[in-house]
Amino acid sequence: MSLIHTKDLTKTFRIFEKEPGLTGSVKSLFNRKFIDKTAVANFDLCVEQGEFIGLIGPNGSGKTTLVKMLTGIIAPSSGEISVLGFYPNKLETLFKKQYAVVMGQKSQLFFELTPMDTFRLFKELYGIPEKTYKRNVDDFVELFGVSELLNVQVRTLSLGERMKLELIAALLHNPGLLFLDEPTIGLDAATQRNMRGFLREVNSRKSTTIILTSHYMEDVRTLCPRCVVINGGKKIYDGGTDSLFDMYQSRKKITITFGRETDFIPPEGAETLERSPYRAVFILPKDQAGKIAAQITRDYDIADISIEEEEIGKTVEKIYAAKGLNNETEAGA
Amino acid sequence: MKNLRFILLLLKLRLSHMMVFRLSFFGAFFADGTLFLMQLLSFSVIYGQVDAIGGWSRGQMLVFVGTFSMINAINMTVYFFGLINIPELIRGGGLDLYITKPVNPLFRLTFENADPGSVPLLCLSGAIIAYGLSVEGAPLTAPLIAGYVAFVLIMTLLYYDMELILRTIPFFVISAAAIDRLEGDLLTLNFKIPGIIYKGGFKILFYFIMPYGIMATVPTQFVTKTLTPAGLVHAVCAAALFTVFALWFWRFGLKHYKSAM
Repeated sequence: MSLIHTKDLTKTFRIFEKEPGLTGSVKSLFNRKFIDKTAVANFDLCVEQGEFIGLIGPNGSGKTTLVKMLTGIIAPSSGEISVLGFYPNKLETLFKKQYAVVMGQKSQLFFELTPMDTFRLFKELYGIPEKTYKRNVDDFVELFGVSELLNVQVRTLSLGERMKLELIAALLHNPGLLFLDEPTIGLDAATQRNMRGFLREVNSRKSTTIILTSHYMEDVRTLCPRCVVINGGKKIYDGGTDSLFDMYQSRKKITITFGRETDFIPPEGAETLERSPYRAVFILPKDQAGKIAAQITRDYDIADISIEEEEIGKTVEKIYAAKGLNNETEAGA
Repeated sequence: MKNLRFILLLLKLRLSHMMVFRLSFFGAFFADGTLFLMQLLSFSVIYGQVDAIGGWSRGQMLVFVGTFSMINAINMTVYFFGLINIPELIRGGGLDLYITKPVNPLFRLTFENADPGSVPLLCLSGAIIAYGLSVEGAPLTAPLIAGYVAFVLIMTLLYYDMELILRTIPFFVISAAAIDRLEGDLLTLNFKIPGIIYKGGFKILFYFIMPYGIMATVPTQFVTKTLTPAGLVHAVCAAALFTVFALWFWRFGLKHYKSAM
């Protein structure tokens, strides 16, 4: 049986609609109008034990609403939903003991106290036996390298340090299912990389099923073998992350630094990003990149050359555009 | 047992949190004590010059004021500062973090912001009640004291129910600030006026719809042996019904929680 199973899952919110201005406000006092907004529509999803899934989509696409239904925070309007064999919005204690959720923008740590104080509360909340608690604290503290932060007031920690401790708090009770909502938001590139390493380790070492929502496509690309693209509340792609990028990341960027002044002109069909007598940057179709690079290396005095995947943000824009979507651009940060 | 351990841990964390800020920690005792003295002053100005109000003697009035103060002090010490956060948690989506934890969110909210600064008020309220009883000169027996304590606790529960009901309304509306103000005004009024004074529509309002009128009145009537059997039944039924409704309303609200969509 799947760990998560949804069928025709739908969530509709009733939203107050007001005409602009004072007249509109007065009218709304006596004749209030509401509109129905469907945040998630007829959503089918199956997730198996141990999977690491990325949930991507632009702002307002419905991914957070979906996660909130899966965690029981909000009730679905219609459709079937089963998570770990439970109906989430029944909010059964046994269900809540088996998953954890980390929200990048909502801290679970006591700001004025130390991380150990929060860990103690979580031990009590989840009824973690003393032995397991100690072992998990030791394991995760070692894995995340945060031993010197345990008895420090949380408010004095950096965002990256706080996020590591948020993850430790969430993992103390060995959840089988972990929801991560923007866990790398606001972190610098190096900390993001570290965080990805930790998550990969948690997924493989503990076989924890992870559902990751992120605007940083690099998170999804490097961590999630499977991704689900959602927009307008509808699922528009569910499959291999690599396949998705293979489909849409169809170009490569070549950066060349010449050893001497040249009159180099990028090949026909390439999109030139930068050109000077000593340097050229251009994008061209993936299947031509190798051949063209080899030719340039033969014909010119090359000081340095690099071939990179097309910028991930551009790829995401293409994914949404190809699906006829209105991307709000932040998805490809 | 598990719940008790959890409450004790919440209390420890709350104390640790308060002690981080020394001024705030010691200031709480001062602020709550000052508030209490102001209430007493207000009472003495109003009732200092009369011997009886609505058939109640000066001793009964003192017990009434002490009782209301006691109920309010228990409220402030135990759950007020937890419940008062609920509307903001609903509006800002902070309730998500409570809902996803394997403990009843209401239970945690009720006990996680206890305020030791209000503990002295419990002692002061007790002193006023004792003084009122001595002025009244009524003989006290163990069953009478036990019954009085039981009624104070039942009425504290009723007070809790009212606070919870009002703070559950934000699940359904955008802003409930006006309700907060209304509650404050009604409490101030009922702190000063014993329920026996209310007649007609006011009696219906303060005995049945928003029963602030019986909260301190009924325990006072009990300990001064003026509570009728009908009054006793009404008080117990009101507390039971409001508790059932408050808990149902909370659960109903949770089902309609939109999590700051």
